[in-house]
Amino acid sequence: MNPLTAKVRAIVRREYLQRVRSRWFLLSTLGIPLLFIGIGVLAGFLALDSETAFETHSLGVVDRTERLGAHVVEELLQDSILASEAHGLEGTSEEAVRERLLDSAYDLFLVLPPGILESAAEPGAGLEERPPEIRLLSRDNVGTAVQRTIRQGVNRALVRSRLLDAGVEGIDPAILLQSARLEVVNVTEEGVARSQEMFEVISFLLALVFYAALIVYGQMMIRSIVEEKTSDVVEVMVSSVRPWELMLGKIIGVGAVGITQLLIWGVVMGVAIFLGLTAGASALAEAGVDLSAAQVPWGVVGLIVTFLILGYLLYAGMFAGGGATMGSEQDAQQVAMPIIMLIIVPFVAAQPLIASPNAVWAVVMSLVPFFSPILMPSRLLVSSVPAVQVAAAVVLLVLCILGVAWVAGRIYRVGILIKGQRANLPEIIRWVRHG
Amino acid sequence: MNDVAIHLRGITKRFGKNTAVRDLDLEVPRGCIYGLLGPNGAGKTTTLRIILDIIGSDAGEVMVLGTNAVEEVRPRIGYLPEERGLYPKMSVIEQLVFFGELKGLKRQEARRAALAGLERLGLTERARDRVEALSKGMQQKVQFLCTILHAPELLILDEPFSGLDPLNVDLLKQFVLDRQRDGATVLFSTHLIEDAERLCERVCMIAGATKVLDGRVSDVKAATGRREVAIAFEGDGGFLDAPSLVERVSDHGRYVEVRMKDGADPQELLGRAVAGGVRLSRFELVEPSLRAIFLEKATEAGLSTRDEEAGLSRRDEEDEEAEAARQETPA
Repeated sequence: MNPLTAKVRAIVRREYLQRVRSRWFLLSTLGIPLLFIGIGVLAGFLALDSETAFETHSLGVVDRTERLGAHVVEELLQDSILASEAHGLEGTSEEAVRERLLDSAYDLFLVLPPGILESAAEPGAGLEERPPEIRLLSRDNVGTAVQRTIRQGVNRALVRSRLLDAGVEGIDPAILLQSARLEVVNVTEEGVARSQEMFEVISFLLALVFYAALIVYGQMMIRSIVEEKTSDVVEVMVSSVRPWELMLGKIIGVGAVGITQLLIWGVVMGVAIFLGLTAGASALAEAGVDLSAAQVPWGVVGLIVTFLILGYLLYAGMFAGGGATMGSEQDAQQVAMPIIMLIIVPFVAAQPLIASPNAVWAVVMSLVPFFSPILMPSRLLVSSVPAVQVAAAVVLLVLCILGVAWVAGRIYRVGILIKGQRANLPEIIRWVRHG
Repeated sequence: MNDVAIHLRGITKRFGKNTAVRDLDLEVPRGCIYGLLGPNGAGKTTTLRIILDIIGSDAGEVMVLGTNAVEEVRPRIGYLPEERGLYPKMSVIEQLVFFGELKGLKRQEARRAALAGLERLGLTERARDRVEALSKGMQQKVQFLCTILHAPELLILDEPFSGLDPLNVDLLKQFVLDRQRDGATVLFSTHLIEDAERLCERVCMIAGATKVLDGRVSDVKAATGRREVAIAFEGDGGFLDAPSLVERVSDHGRYVEVRMKDGADPQELLGRAVAGGVRLSRFELVEPSLRAIFLEKATEAGLSTRDEEAGLSRRDEEDEEAEAARQETPA
């Protein structure tokens, strides 16, 4: 028998239209992308700020090594920090330097201790044998960006100075300090090479979207059930349709709202990315992003969508069963909490999992039905997951959905007629056993 | 079997340790208006929910419109639950069409029936308004319309008159009588015996989960057989204290209803009243009221009369009763 009876279709249509026409839908559909754009712009602005250090500082260098100071000043001037050697303080105590700082034009003093060039700590050296510290005295808080700039400048100056001491000339210390870049290219049997880094970012964003979607639309599910109870409609409903028809209609209806919203965002984002790519292709090429490597792996996309839909069905069923035991909106928030915890676990695990997608714990967690909807898509994007594992995750998830549907259906059947007070656990267990 | 709309045999339903309905038999013939009477908590709502298959029974057999599978005949039933409710954010017309569809009407049929109904109620102009924007009385009208939109053969109403304003009480009675004229069967529950006495051809009384009385109102009264005397008077009621004549006295406030002993002559009682110097404004031989019969049956069934009497109320106590009735949930 086709489960999508005319009644179920009517319930789906009602749920869908009511929600899509609501002010909430309009606000969230427009508001959430705006929020993300806002966060993106702000983050970009902050990154820009720390890159070029908008703050300027006048820094006095107190050189007790007799030769490092000049190199430090030279390096720091490159980084647009106004540095100069302050003469006459080399032999004084730190107290004297501090006093001088407070009534001079400088807002920072960098004290280079004697012996810093000669000492080279052995690996594993104890605290005693470490090289003396370079001290930065400041009248005000020093931002981490400025600290980093100064540390890097001093490092280059140290290298240059030590090279000179060793009698080596004509080598740019920047070259010596240049670290290796590691680009990971994943070669699969289909011969598709993927740019790992980009997929890690996408993978995490995906986990974030799944996590948010499961919570938002799950909550909507609960609200939909409790609303029907508080407005006393539910008894008319159950005299006309079977409880499972009502539950199925709600799950599909709310799911359709979610799909609509995600599609709107997806299309807008797709258009924006397309326009952005066409406009900024050269800039991206300069930044080292190779677009030719970023082919869309449609098979993986298909699996990801499958996991999203299955995950939604699992959690929607749990939220529906949970919501049915509740008599009021406040109680509903309480029953939502443990379910939300179950969604938070895989989200928290997503970042370490993306870093080591084939670790034993990662494989196990991505098979667990309550976690696989978020974790398996994340793994699929950053590694080639054996087909057996994907199949196992899908089978376990489907079995779990059927189990949850059975239990939730029984709870729902009895629970929807409960009003006012909420049911306690022994009572719920009785419904499941005798429902 | 075809002339029976509802047939219950040996229905029992327990909630935990409480027995809500005990071994109930009920037969509602087609085309009649049937009242299910009883005090609050007697098991009326549970019985109706079992008939509608909203909850299952622990034992017994249910046949509705000639089938055991209530599921299949749901489109032919209209149900007005005690707790009435509509979706507050939906427009009136959408709401009616939605409920119509759930009862198996096609969208267009439901729309046509809804518009016709709204026109009859004078609510055509409010069709596009949200339900929450309507007054309580209008919402009640929309609710009735939802119940009868699909022209049900069987109408089941749970405490239909409680909480209604007098205009809507008349309107609902009109709806009920119209449906009956079209051949529909109506079963309604009430704790207001007067409502039942006015509308019903047949009644079933339950108290404490058990049936105490069942049958045609006229038969029930005839079977009771004995004569009742309604007496209104001023002065000392001591004349009623005559064990050889009087079996039972029920106080109705403005008058008392006296049941005479078998073979006792009401004339003798009148003589005692006159001799006692009481001013009489009424002394009338009457049929027993359902109320008096119910109290008697409940007592025979060994139930605490005091409690039952507290549960049976007249219209002026209705608001408190309706409030109390809300506590009646299956837990």
